[in-house]
Amino acid sequence: MNRALADDNHQHNATLILFVTGEAPRSRRAHHNLTAALEANSIDDAPTREIDLLREPQEAISFGIFATPALMHIDASGKRRVLYGDLSDEYSLKNFLSAL
Amino acid sequence: MNDTTAGHGLVKRATGIHHLDTVTHGGLLAGGATLVIGEPGCGKTIIGLQILASVLARGEGGVFMSFEESREQILRNTDSFRWGPRLRESRCEIIDGQSMKGAEFSGTFDIDGLLAVLDLCARRVEGNWIILDGIDQLLRRQPDSQSAIDQIAQLNDWSIEKGYSLLLTGKHTGNDSPHPDHLTGIEFMLNTILVLSSTLVDKRLNRRFRIAKYRGTRHNPNELAMLIDDAGIHLPYAEPFVAASVPAAGQRISTGIERLDKILEGGVYRGSTTLISGQPGTSKTTLGAAFVAAAAQRGERALLLSFDEFARQIVRNVATLGIDLQSPIDSGQLSVVARASWDGLVEEHYMAVLALLDDFQPECLVIDPASALLKSSGAESAFLALEHLLAVTRTRGITTMLTSLSEADDPFGESSLSHASTLADTWIVLRYQINGGERNRSLSVVKSRGTAHSNQVREMILSPRGVDLADVYPFGSEVLMGTARVQKESEEAAMRQRQVKERVRQQQRLEVEIERTRTLIQQGQTELERLQEELVTEHRDQTQTDRGADRHQDSILRRRNPSQGGQDQ
Repeated sequence: MNRALADDNHQHNATLILFVTGEAPRSRRAHHNLTAALEANSIDDAPTREIDLLREPQEAISFGIFATPALMHIDASGKRRVLYGDLSDEYSLKNFLSAL
Repeated sequence: MNDTTAGHGLVKRATGIHHLDTVTHGGLLAGGATLVIGEPGCGKTIIGLQILASVLARGEGGVFMSFEESREQILRNTDSFRWGPRLRESRCEIIDGQSMKGAEFSGTFDIDGLLAVLDLCARRVEGNWIILDGIDQLLRRQPDSQSAIDQIAQLNDWSIEKGYSLLLTGKHTGNDSPHPDHLTGIEFMLNTILVLSSTLVDKRLNRRFRIAKYRGTRHNPNELAMLIDDAGIHLPYAEPFVAASVPAAGQRISTGIERLDKILEGGVYRGSTTLISGQPGTSKTTLGAAFVAAAAQRGERALLLSFDEFARQIVRNVATLGIDLQSPIDSGQLSVVARASWDGLVEEHYMAVLALLDDFQPECLVIDPASALLKSSGAESAFLALEHLLAVTRTRGITTMLTSLSEADDPFGESSLSHASTLADTWIVLRYQINGGERNRSLSVVKSRGTAHSNQVREMILSPRGVDLADVYPFGSEVLMGTARVQKESEEAAMRQRQVKERVRQQQRLEVEIERTRTLIQQGQTELERLQEELVTEHRDQTQTDRGADRHQDSILRRRNPSQGGQDQ
């Protein structure tokens, strides 16, 4: 997605990345909501990674993620989808995860 | 270095955009957020990018993040500006923030990550300026407006804490828009808000700039015209008028028409403004040309700006009246510049004239006709442009002559210009006087500050020898012109001749009378002498008679006294 400063050669094994900012309430809520949803939908084989932008701000530029929390899914062809927010809306989260 | 303290500890940081720093009295907040709001196409992004280019030019770094365009789009768009290429420098960080386009949302989000990124980039380029372009694109993703407001507050607090000059730009959808305005409420929170707007006047885009809020510091609160050209944004009327710097010259300079100079007691004051108004064809341009020609002859530099004709036409036309503009043009003392009034906004013309004044540095300026500015778009500000322009010419001591076209069918043609005329020190009105089936040009000085000028309307005569003013022929309440004047002149000549003849006749009559009287006197003298002679003769006769009587008496007495002879003979 990011054009200018994206590190396109950067390889990530994870297909599901949750961007958070430290211990911010929304980040914690998103983490909790995601874990619950993955369990509820019996998705446990998807490689999941968490990036804290406060510690690795350059990753924000690499992925083009400036609002947190944000959940990114990278499919086999490298296509990225992002769901922003604390993932409190169950329906949209379920919808997002259905592609896995 | 570029930071100034404006009292109460408020520190400003120069934007490097001259006019913007002028109206803000030194720049924007050195620590804090400034919101630039306006409709699409008002120039919000350009202000941000130009500030960035300016700070790069003075060796600082800056961060620009766009939520609407990619880095390539931005660079392509700014290449048309002179400072555009500078944005490709390494100390300029342009971040593509439009990745949220087309993304899905589930609940609220925060911007702590954004701040972390901005901080990282600003430190990397060692910059103090951070511009977030199209912040509304980010905030509209929040499910409720309170979160948006909270996050703007967070951005503001963060920029104050870090000492960054943060510029946020956002679309203002306007009050009649059906869409929710994501910037509502934000204006209450930020201390500095710039509002850009644009209106179509005569199908031309008129941009406006206003500082809606700049808490705690002096600033220019007026809505100002804004121009965008290849140098970026301009606020033409940003410069304050410094009245104290206006020189009050006492020197008079020629208008180029000898007899007009005489009426004006030697010409117009140097550095003053003269307005020449008149209907089409009343020779306004000719007077302007005569003025610049005279200036060039004195060895001064003169600029003739025409909105009516091309330079060559003017030179050719006034040459037939004996006014030579070609020689001073060739010698570089005179510049004749033609502009099309319809081909630009009033402010653009204003900026162009200022550029001409800077370039050519004239001592005398003619704008012919200045009223053409009224024809250009944004005409409501034409007087404002003229006022500002005259403020500049006065400050620089440039003697200015403006011509103004008054409409033929407007009976109040002169009074409608009264606004402009208050700007002028001298106001000359040219007219046609229709009399006896002909049009004659007339000239009158309506006012001339500091001059005891004649209030007489005079006939203006154009001939291959130049422009001249004819003698005044008042006739009742009229002033005679043209044929009527010529007729009056010959009438007067005939009358003078009659008077001469009459006088000769009278002298002759008197001489005859004198001669006759002299003859009478001579006759009287002769008579007098005759009468005197007669009187003498009369006396003699009487003496003889008396003697005879004596003798007779004696003889009687002798006869009565015999002792004494007593005997008759």
